[in-house]
Amino acid sequence: MRLEKCWFCSSTVYPGHGIQFVRNDAKVFRFCRSKCHKNFKMKRNPRKVKWTKAYRRLRGKDMTQDTTFEFERKRNRPERYDRILTEQTLKAIPLITKIRHERQKKHITERQKGGKSMSRKKDAKELEQDLQMLPKKDTVAYEATKQKVIVSQLKTEENLMEE
Amino acid sequence: MATRIQFENNCEVGVFSKLTNAYCLVAIGGSENFYSTFESELADVIPVVKTSIGGTRIIGRLCVGNKNGLLLPHTTTDQELQHLRNCLPDQVVVQRIDERLSALGNCISCNDHVALTHPDLDKATEELIADVLGVEVFRQTIAGNILVGSYCAFSNRGGLVHPHTSIEDLDELSTLLQVPLVAGTVNRGSEVIAAGMTVNDWTAFCGSDTTATELSVIESVFKLREGQPTAIVDDMRKSLIDSYV
Repeated sequence: MRLEKCWFCSSTVYPGHGIQFVRNDAKVFRFCRSKCHKNFKMKRNPRKVKWTKAYRRLRGKDMTQDTTFEFERKRNRPERYDRILTEQTLKAIPLITKIRHERQKKHITERQKGGKSMSRKKDAKELEQDLQMLPKKDTVAYEATKQKVIVSQLKTEENLMEE
Repeated sequence: MATRIQFENNCEVGVFSKLTNAYCLVAIGGSENFYSTFESELADVIPVVKTSIGGTRIIGRLCVGNKNGLLLPHTTTDQELQHLRNCLPDQVVVQRIDERLSALGNCISCNDHVALTHPDLDKATEELIADVLGVEVFRQTIAGNILVGSYCAFSNRGGLVHPHTSIEDLDELSTLLQVPLVAGTVNRGSEVIAAGMTVNDWTAFCGSDTTATELSVIESVFKLREGQPTAIVDDMRKSLIDSYV
């Protein structure tokens, strides 16, 4: 029994779940549920489908490179059974998963940090350009900061003459 | 010394077992007869290991190995891999490979020095074979068949190939492998040599359908009769007569 990853969404496929598809070139595709299987049959690219891990990793929304990922690798050359080693590994597994989760959460909060300053910049731009679109009560304070400049009569008459 | 055996009434012994100079793998059968025959011959010399590969019993055709290593297909489960690693001696490197042609026993035939492989095998796999088994790899066909692992069986001392191999092919293969080769059959005319028998440097096991003629051919080409008392006496005869005088 082995816990495989779904080819489409990269979630774990537990025993008794999902479908495996074996293509003619002997490549095996495992799916966790019919949603992923149907998307595959529609020939959708998981890298373009927003809710998949492949999309999120590609766009940098989720953590990609970390040393904690190195622990969970498929190994083809086994080592002789050693009781102490097995015991230590079993103790280490929950610690490693905890650290990995912490790091993934941190990655997401870091990513979202720049948001406040960006929204302030956006608001400033809106005040500057689209002042008349905003409701009057919001712009009273802004207008108080603006200084009124008196334009002389002569200049305006000249402009009219040119037109 | 060649022995005739059956696996659950089936004469294709090479399908259900894998014999090398350092270990022997045997399939898990309903009764212990198959396993006990191997055990009685080999138990005190090399480890005899009961196993399955990918949950199947056709282990002889799925894996390939020699005294240096054992190569397993990607269908081998982690538990089976661990079991083999625990049972086999440390000098034997156990490795699982990702290869489209997963029946390695049908695609690769090897002894301790040379290996013949299917012409369509991956380059990466070829390098792994050279690395893990410590052999020189040659891409060849036998009598026009690409499944070299099934149509020839060879050890360090001799080899048996498909009966329809031409004499030129036989000579070419013989020079490549550096062992004497003979074209013959096993199990009353079966051409699939490696499926019908399994051999190492000092023993061979054939299906019970093998005729006496085929058995004598096998014993002579793999030089299995040398362990017999008659052979020893013949060699020593000259020195014995000298001592009388």
